[in-house]
Amino acid sequence: MYIFFSITTTYPDFLLLNFAYFLFDTDMNSSTKMKNSAQPNQYIYQTQGVCPPEIHFKINSGTIEDIRFVGGGCPGNAQLVARLLDGKPLAEALKYLAGIDCRNGTSCPDQLTAAVTAAKNGSLRPAESFRVHADASDRCRVGLISAIEGNHAILEKLIQHMKACGTKACYCLGNLTGDSAQNKDLIQKMRKHKIFAIQGANDWCYAQGQEKKGMPPLEQKDRDWLLRLPQVLSFQMKQKKGVVFFGDYLQRLPDYSDFEPFALEMNMVCGLTNFMQDKTVFPALEAMIPQFQVDIIIFSQLKKWGHWHVAGKDFISLGPASDANGVSWGKLEVADEKIEFKVMHAEYDGG
Amino acid sequence: MAESVKVLPQDIQEIIEVHEWDMRTREGVQRFRELKAKSLPSVALDGYLVYESLIPMQEELIDEILRRYKEKNQNE
Repeated sequence: MYIFFSITTTYPDFLLLNFAYFLFDTDMNSSTKMKNSAQPNQYIYQTQGVCPPEIHFKINSGTIEDIRFVGGGCPGNAQLVARLLDGKPLAEALKYLAGIDCRNGTSCPDQLTAAVTAAKNGSLRPAESFRVHADASDRCRVGLISAIEGNHAILEKLIQHMKACGTKACYCLGNLTGDSAQNKDLIQKMRKHKIFAIQGANDWCYAQGQEKKGMPPLEQKDRDWLLRLPQVLSFQMKQKKGVVFFGDYLQRLPDYSDFEPFALEMNMVCGLTNFMQDKTVFPALEAMIPQFQVDIIIFSQLKKWGHWHVAGKDFISLGPASDANGVSWGKLEVADEKIEFKVMHAEYDGG
Repeated sequence: MAESVKVLPQDIQEIIEVHEWDMRTREGVQRFRELKAKSLPSVALDGYLVYESLIPMQEELIDEILRRYKEKNQNE
């Protein structure tokens, strides 16, 4: 039972004007049903033979919008193409794009032609409202880091400590970037160590070119790297399935759908329980849990360590990577079909 | 059980508005919190949470709706 009712009794004069019976369609269970048909569809196209690995664009009532060549290429030219074509009907845009050669018998415009054609004929489906990545390995133990906020020295220290504790796999929840001028170095370290990273709110703002005032500048290629990060990571630990995400910025994404995979878990953590801080609504949470897809739900927005076990599911809040006492990370492992979570500390003098 | 709310007699339907909220959605969760509800299923009447963790029998619900309807319209 995942519904509740509100009933309003009416005044007689109201009755003359309004005879109303509103019923929400509870059988609605697909994202396509929930999306407003007037909203533009966002597409992500994986390119071939050109520098940028992805092209992002929207199609809105037969016109192309918000084109972005992501992850490489000539940023100036790409922006010009995007501006010139913005709002153009698809047929008109395709006339400009087709048949341009740059390298490997193709070009960015040529790849955009392929992308738009695929979107038109349905072979390229609209993108999900948030990026989900699945860790392909079955893990016994993982290290969890959050709120690194650009401090690459802390990242190095944490990785060393994790390895010393026998933990090789690491999931780094946002925010990867912060006020630190070392965001660029941090991104390089993340790439070097091939850490599973997911996007936090700061990272998303950087990716959109909408960072808060006072945040240091970041090159376009680093913004693109942040943009391409998954926003949700699913994983498997023996019989247990888990999901990690940052927090409620995902719910405010323009195309967010309540019916995509893991949206229920996010809505319950962020909206219903206020990141598990409101225990009074745990009975409602328990009623919703049978519909969860996963057993372990990990988030990091609060920057506060916590572990709750509710109706057979584990909810974990990650604290910051560093504080006055040193550096910290979370060790998650499965033993005897039980989840064990421990906050690990290491001394760190900032040197 | 939810049928007792969904299939109210016509004369009762004519004096009420019913809104069914889906707790899987952000909108449903927001309304749930506004009503200060704690558990499911719940029924609110005129913005007040009246039944928590249960859907009442139809007769009981009708009595409560009529009581509130009369009370509301007495004061007009």
